[in-house]
Amino acid sequence: MSTTSERPAARTGAIGAGPRRVEGPAKVAGTAAYAYEYRAADAAYLAPVQATIARGRVAAVDTAAAEAAEGVLAVLWHGNAPRLRTDAELPGLQQPGELHVLQSAEVHYRGQPVAAVVAETFEAAQHAAALVTLTYEQLPHDAEFSAGRTDLATPKEDHRQGDVKAAEGEVVVDQTYTTPMQHNNPMEPHSTMARWDGEAITLHESTQGAHMVRETVAELLGLEQGRVRVVAPYVGGGFGSKGPLHAPTVLAVLGARAVPHRSVKLAATRRQMFSLVGYRSPTVQRVRLRADAQGRLSGIDVTATVQSARLGDFIEEAAGPAKSMYAAPNRRMGHRAARLDVPVPTWMRAPGECPGMFGPEVAMDELAVACGLDPIEARVRNEPERDPATGKPFSTRNLIACLREGADRFGWADRPAEPGARREGEWLVGTGVAASFYPVVPPVGGSRALVRHAGDGRYVVSLAAADIGTGAWTALTQVAADVLGVPLEHVEVRLGDSALPLASLAGGSTGMMSWGSTVHAAATAFRRLHGDDPAPGAEAAADLPEVAHRDDYAMHAYGAQFAEVRVNTDTGEIRVPRLLGVFAAGRIVNARTARSQFVGGMTMGLSMALHEESVLDARFGHVVNADFAEYHIAANADVADIQAHWIDEHDPLVNPLGAKGIGEIGIVGTAAAVANAAYHATGVRVRRVPLRLDDFLDAVGA
Amino acid sequence: MDFLSPDTWAGALAAKAARPEAVPVMGGTDVMVELNLGRRRPHALLDLTRVPELARWGAEDGYTRVGAGVSYTRLVERVGSRAPALAAAARSVASPQIRNRGSVGGNLGGASPAGDCHPPLLAAGALVELASAAGVRRVPASEFYLGPGRTVRREDELVAAVLVPEPRGPQVFAKVGPRNAMVIAVVSFALALDVAARRAGTGIGSAGPTPLRARAAEEFLAREFDWAGGADPSPEAARRFGDLVAGAARPIDDVRGSAAYRRHALAVLARRAWARCAAEVRGGGV
Amino acid sequence: MHADITLTVDGRRHQLRVDTRTTLLDALREDLGVTAPKKGCDHGQCGSCTVLLNGRRVVTCLVLAVAGDGAEVVTAAGLAEGGDLHPMQEAFMDHDAFQCGYCTPGQICSAVGMLDEAAAGWPSAATPPRASAEGAVAELDDTEIRERMSGNLCRCGAYAGIVSAIGDAARRTHAAAASGIPRPAREGGRR
Repeated sequence: MSTTSERPAARTGAIGAGPRRVEGPAKVAGTAAYAYEYRAADAAYLAPVQATIARGRVAAVDTAAAEAAEGVLAVLWHGNAPRLRTDAELPGLQQPGELHVLQSAEVHYRGQPVAAVVAETFEAAQHAAALVTLTYEQLPHDAEFSAGRTDLATPKEDHRQGDVKAAEGEVVVDQTYTTPMQHNNPMEPHSTMARWDGEAITLHESTQGAHMVRETVAELLGLEQGRVRVVAPYVGGGFGSKGPLHAPTVLAVLGARAVPHRSVKLAATRRQMFSLVGYRSPTVQRVRLRADAQGRLSGIDVTATVQSARLGDFIEEAAGPAKSMYAAPNRRMGHRAARLDVPVPTWMRAPGECPGMFGPEVAMDELAVACGLDPIEARVRNEPERDPATGKPFSTRNLIACLREGADRFGWADRPAEPGARREGEWLVGTGVAASFYPVVPPVGGSRALVRHAGDGRYVVSLAAADIGTGAWTALTQVAADVLGVPLEHVEVRLGDSALPLASLAGGSTGMMSWGSTVHAAATAFRRLHGDDPAPGAEAAADLPEVAHRDDYAMHAYGAQFAEVRVNTDTGEIRVPRLLGVFAAGRIVNARTARSQFVGGMTMGLSMALHEESVLDARFGHVVNADFAEYHIAANADVADIQAHWIDEHDPLVNPLGAKGIGEIGIVGTAAAVANAAYHATGVRVRRVPLRLDDFLDAVGA
Repeated sequence: MDFLSPDTWAGALAAKAARPEAVPVMGGTDVMVELNLGRRRPHALLDLTRVPELARWGAEDGYTRVGAGVSYTRLVERVGSRAPALAAAARSVASPQIRNRGSVGGNLGGASPAGDCHPPLLAAGALVELASAAGVRRVPASEFYLGPGRTVRREDELVAAVLVPEPRGPQVFAKVGPRNAMVIAVVSFALALDVAARRAGTGIGSAGPTPLRARAAEEFLAREFDWAGGADPSPEAARRFGDLVAGAARPIDDVRGSAAYRRHALAVLARRAWARCAAEVRGGGV
Repeated sequence: MHADITLTVDGRRHQLRVDTRTTLLDALREDLGVTAPKKGCDHGQCGSCTVLLNGRRVVTCLVLAVAGDGAEVVTAAGLAEGGDLHPMQEAFMDHDAFQCGYCTPGQICSAVGMLDEAAAGWPSAATPPRASAEGAVAELDDTEIRERMSGNLCRCGAYAGIVSAIGDAARRTHAAAASGIPRPAREGGRR
């Protein structure tokens, strides 16, 4: 099925309504079982031992004291751990280096698992892990991230159009913007419960993709995929880090091998979440804009320097979004990478776009100031007719509509042009705007859905999708109910289990596009095959439909975010009393959960603007603020009036549902809007997040 | 790990005498963090939650005696008007859940330079009551702290109580942090005035290896404060007071803030504290 | 070293032998299979493990199980027991005050405990110093709710929904009390 020309007729109106979450009762009552919470009479517990050097070799491991400790079942290290396949072909961006746990004496980053204890209880495992003694042959390490390094790699050829050096115009913005290392920190730590029965393994796993885990584990172990079962209906957030597998899952798999027929449990501690499961790379963004006096861009030049690991490459594509945002005949976007002795970075909500829209969107604000333009007008003047990166027409692009509607809702018209113009008592007050952008990306992996009539007009829809809090469970129920033409309560969606039909990873904001389209296709096929009065047991399945025009159009979602910022003239304290976003992201399937997705993204964006920064001590290679007392994320009191709106966008070209994906765009642009508002409040341009208490002190004359 | 759980104060002191290495634990909000993070692996814990004497408070010879086990919540609720600066600090310690369990005794036992209770105790001229099987002694708060996590408490002693003088004038506490709540202070400051004696007490938190007093600032304020009328200080006097407070600090740069920012913010908090105290004197709210 | 303790959890009495190193949180989750309280940080900073302990909200990761001997614990599951959700839980559903759900049982216990604290007149850091004469009932506006709920982190960013859900639940409970309808299932002491 490949018809993408018309919006499908809604039969019940379930699509676009706002029902409460179908899994809500289990979540509010605390009865929803997350990976670590399955009951096992015979549970054993695994505690990792982590390297205390950043580079070198394990010279000796003394496990005697640990093995003698009460309750210890096994102590694993590279000398006795089961072997993993070195030639495993891993799906997606899985990092073999990161996953080859306990396979050699080499130490590639501080915190790398170098041993593990399996014991009868959590306390016994923790205790014994501290008794394992390691001797190292330490080698000099290099964990110093800097854009000034002389050994930066160019991972991919720069994107070039025209000649950015020859761009003309009297206005130049040439600045460097930085974003820090950040950690995903879903509230549920990465957790695994692994159990071997003969040559088959069952994993209860906190993951964004049951099939991804199954395929990866099968490959690493050299097993048929059918011998690996992954169960993950409830996942306590992921924000990217639960997309690819990380070391703890493999540790649990290896540990469980040592105690067959027992369930081995491992949940990363919050501290371990800062060394074992990935992070967002820091970025240094050199942005050079050239424009005429009216603010029309002639050149855009963005170089993003990012951190990668010697153990495995991951490039945070922070120069990516600038390719598509604004028109300019001369353009260059490129990445430089410092490959260091550090853990491998990974996806974190809107990888690339989130940090990559900070620099350019602050630079656009600077351009507006330089040209004496309103920041919205500066963006309107550079609106491209076609996608600058590819030359293709846009399927839909409603950035300007978002800016205009946001301006109306926010009350932008009253804004004084000059910074520092509004003072209320000891507070300076300002407002700022930034654009949001997120591409329609192809899903990672295929999808297939099965619709079965259970009798009495009730239907069961199955696919192994993951609802990590996105609302997919509810939205898929709506899609099926809508197409089948039955009440919501008559549809039961089963997901989060590799025994169910294949589903793509929950990542890239692709859930509705892939699973939604697939369920839509399966339900449509069901009615076509079985009519409106099917026999009990009647079934139909469908695969993810092809998108007919994917290669003919540039497909992206857009948004505009507005922030009000108050800066205290005495203390430099920064508050954000108002955030407002307007988004154009295709069709919204569930108004209630969609609002939560947008607002949740903006809240995390606010957290990025004001709080989040992992501080890596290059001397030792570890993050020094590795807990919630020191790595601040926004608390309830930091978030005041925060609103999300969307425009009714019809885009039949993106997929049969017309949905573009909403999980990530909310975080894109928030930090720039806040920084721009802080400039407007104080006249001080801060080109780094998080904004700090002492950033504004000089200007406010304290 | 042994778990000692005496249900009388005498029993607690005897247990501490027999096992001086036992780590005392009340609400657990400090000690448990260290245990869970593996920073400490004691052979014995001395649980004091069942000792009724520690949960008591009451007036005693011009002081309010607050048992070391009185939770922050209870302190705010019941002792607030008798120890205003301490109560204000207690309102902002960590999270509400922790305030329901944690206590001043624990804050003193841990003696983190960032502990919120220390500046008010210093400013108010409080005493710390230490007890062992051998006897009881009361140490001025200004002599209690030795360094990060170190105090004059001997290994066989337990913190029994703090004694806060009855307020004889306005008291304020304020802190600055990067987050609106649940924040470890970048700096904190307390000011307590004795209107009758025309004396001032100060306390500085998070800006040195121990909580500190700003003695020169105290003397300056005592001279310059409008004790009778509560007039606002002159801008010069306010600035000077702020500078003296900032000058008494010994801050370092860390993840939470630079030393320069800490001095600046302390000066701000000090000036504000003066203004608030003056307003209270004017308003007759003492 | 081990100790025998008694815990009453969501109305059910349990006798169990615990390692003296075991936290109340781990005893609930691993020994009793009560998994409504979640482990999010292990050091009292996230609030996911909040329960009502003898009627007050506390974080169970900072309480040793052995120190909780004899305690009465109510979790989010206990608030909902009997098949009907607590009004706070309904309000969380209505306002979509959660996404992944992991911090949610802790948020809900915290919210229920918080309303009791406010009703008892306990001031918060957001209460003006002078407005909090002992015994006065605190006005529970959004600023107060935000401050009083800041011990519960939510990474999905559902704070806006949480604040409106709690305000709504407080009004519903108020209205129910005013109209003489008995208050629904509450923490501590019931059963």
